[in-house]
Amino acid sequence: MKFTIDRYQKILIFIIAAYCAFVGFVNPAFFSITTVFDIIRTSSTSLIFAIGLLVVMISGGIDVSFMAIALFGSYTTINIMIAYGIDNLAFAVGLSIIFGAVLGLINASLINWLKLPPFIITLGTQNLFHGIMTTFVSDKSFGAGVLPPCLNQFGRATLFQIQTGSGTIGLSASILPVVFVALATWGLINFTMIGRGIVAVGNDEESARRIGFSPARIRYYVYVWSGILAGLTGIVYVAQINALYPNKLIGGELPIVAAVVIGGAKITGGDGKVFGAILGVLLIYLLNSTLILIGLSSSWNDLFIGSVLVASIATSSYQERIRNRKNLIFTD
Amino acid sequence: MEPILNVKNITKAFSGVRVLKNVSLTVNRGEIHCLVGENGCGKSTLVKCVSGVYTPDEGEIVLNGQRFTKLTTQQAIQNGVQVIYQDMSLFRHMSVAENIAIEKIRAKGARLINWKDVAGIAAEQTRKINVKIDLEKEIFECPIAIRQLTAICRALAHDAKILVMDEPTTALTKNEVSQLLTIVQELKSQGMSIIFISHKLDEVFSVADVITVIRNGEKIGDYNRAEINEKRLSELMTGREIDYPRYRRDFTENTPLLEVKGLSRKGHFNDISFTLRKGDIVGMIGLLGSGRSEIAMSLFGLNPIDSGEIFVSGEKVSIAAPQDAKRRGIALLPEDRFREGLFTDLKIKENVSSTVIDEISPRGCLDFSEEDRLAEKCIETFKVRAPSRETVVRSLSGGNQQKIVIGKWVETKPNIFIMDSPTVGIDIGSKAEIYEQIHNFAKNGMAFLLISDEVEEILANCNRVLILEKGRIKTILEAQDLRQPDAKKLILEEIGSRDLQPDTEPSTK
Repeated sequence: MKFTIDRYQKILIFIIAAYCAFVGFVNPAFFSITTVFDIIRTSSTSLIFAIGLLVVMISGGIDVSFMAIALFGSYTTINIMIAYGIDNLAFAVGLSIIFGAVLGLINASLINWLKLPPFIITLGTQNLFHGIMTTFVSDKSFGAGVLPPCLNQFGRATLFQIQTGSGTIGLSASILPVVFVALATWGLINFTMIGRGIVAVGNDEESARRIGFSPARIRYYVYVWSGILAGLTGIVYVAQINALYPNKLIGGELPIVAAVVIGGAKITGGDGKVFGAILGVLLIYLLNSTLILIGLSSSWNDLFIGSVLVASIATSSYQERIRNRKNLIFTD
Repeated sequence: MEPILNVKNITKAFSGVRVLKNVSLTVNRGEIHCLVGENGCGKSTLVKCVSGVYTPDEGEIVLNGQRFTKLTTQQAIQNGVQVIYQDMSLFRHMSVAENIAIEKIRAKGARLINWKDVAGIAAEQTRKINVKIDLEKEIFECPIAIRQLTAICRALAHDAKILVMDEPTTALTKNEVSQLLTIVQELKSQGMSIIFISHKLDEVFSVADVITVIRNGEKIGDYNRAEINEKRLSELMTGREIDYPRYRRDFTENTPLLEVKGLSRKGHFNDISFTLRKGDIVGMIGLLGSGRSEIAMSLFGLNPIDSGEIFVSGEKVSIAAPQDAKRRGIALLPEDRFREGLFTDLKIKENVSSTVIDEISPRGCLDFSEEDRLAEKCIETFKVRAPSRETVVRSLSGGNQQKIVIGKWVETKPNIFIMDSPTVGIDIGSKAEIYEQIHNFAKNGMAFLLISDEVEEILANCNRVLILEKGRIKTILEAQDLRQPDAKKLILEEIGSRDLQPDTEPSTK
């Protein structure tokens, strides 16, 4: 399997390019390296979330607890670090990932055990995880002063810097985990038997079972992977905003779901591309960060995202209908 | 010839009901062995015993000389048993190549996927059956026939020695069927044994070496193709003599109930005109792509027309939605009853009442006793074999499901009943019962438009036949033409599928 850009992704790229051209036409200030670096930095956490969610959606599931997992992982980890005076980025990432993996394991176990729709289960665990955290860990906020300095260092770190008219601007180091996660997930889906099992289960659980995949085991892989990515994202997020709150992130799940769907993943499972999910997130962030440049208030944001989501779903459903008609299935 | 599979005196019961009684079966190497019997006769259970899905209560299975009393699926696969189930178990969003190869690669215990291997394995299998398929396409983009070939290739990739095909031709067009039968012959010549399950006796006769008849869980016998004919075979399957009665229209009143003039839809059909009178059963036959199902959909408001006029009882009408059609007294039995014709997870009574729910809900509340009464009437009229009116439709056999579909539409008291392939996948006994009911309703003045693939079905029911080709009416045969002894041959020639006459070998590409 070579890396290919399918027709749907080409449409997304075209929309992004056309929109950029439009914004640049209205406001030439848009065409600057600052914009690019800015979008990369602000979208990095959403990108990792989206890639984690994508894997879940390919397997035919859904996860709305990833924000709670990210918060639980990072908040608990950093609380421990503050309490014991630990200042080590690797420790932060490692521990948060472990928390993420365990919570993902709980998600998968509940889904396998109760045989209920993943949406209901993860909606429940979203509240459960957050509740456990605020009840048993802490519900205090921490400002920049008390956080381990390594976090802020990472949050401000740049890979390289470019001199521009208005000062220097650097490419955020947050892109490193994104690139790593994207490549790892792409490889997982396309080149490992587990990955193909995920696709198979998402397509048809019974058929997957017939050829020897265990859907229950596949679900463990999927939700643990999603949990690991959420744990990682939690740390990246805290590093970027340089503060720790017990109630951030939660509630931001649906825009990520929207981004993944806009990126071409099937809500019914079995199909979805990492590159597509990345395009979906970028499109949303592009709209997010450029409205002001074309002179619209941020209240237009939801309107645009809503329109893009509806349009993208309409496109794929229209394509499906054309195909059905070829096979003599009339649904209209 | 040496036997590759020997099933010895198998008995299998589910919750006390014996579905297989002391059945034996011998399949030789390089033999096409057809398994025929009515729905629910136990042939699927037999196949599942051979593939290790079920463990028989008594008896043993000898595969390649090895005896098994408890055959597992894994052992069956190791011994070369491959089953292509009706749903084909393919993955929609995987390529054809991956669908063919993944099971084999997984079985080797590989942790990583080498896409060159995948392509290589897939290409090797397509060469074996001598077909060209676009291996890169994803399954959801492929028509049923290609999916069927993919399933065959997947079985071959697994070194199948015994290939079991469960009703493989149900959704195929005539040309595709003949291609499939050619492939089956080709596999046979390579030494593979094939167990072929089918309802369509003409297919059975065109490929079988040996035919085994099963009825009510018991084996009736093994027959060589040469020593038996279609009529005898259907008697053996049903245990009674089945001779479909021919329908004769005896109305003198000729005012049309439905008149269609110059109906066209670009890419679907062109300039279609015909009339249905009281008591007419008009057949519509033609290859896939001839536009027959599309016309039915249009008459039911599911496929908007570009031009043309529709008259119901002399009144010009526009049918833009199924509700319009229903109000005009038109009923449709769709081709895919499971997906489009039934609420499969609801009970019989709920399905039957679904078309008349408004009528039996005075003041907006459903009259439950009326619902029960309608369901009982339907069960009685159509001889539905079900434990009770509370039975969930999904659990019924195909024939009984179809009776429910017909029953629920009859409740709307339609004048015009459009039936698209009403007996696909239905056993002969139920078929005869359905025909009988169609004849009864027609005798009482209902008009039918009957779309079918089976010439026998057309001949048994229709008093006029429209033969379609590429969206146009090519020929119209009247009652007197249909009574000619060579009517069947004539129709087959007109449709353009000479290669499917039962007494000739399928043509090679």
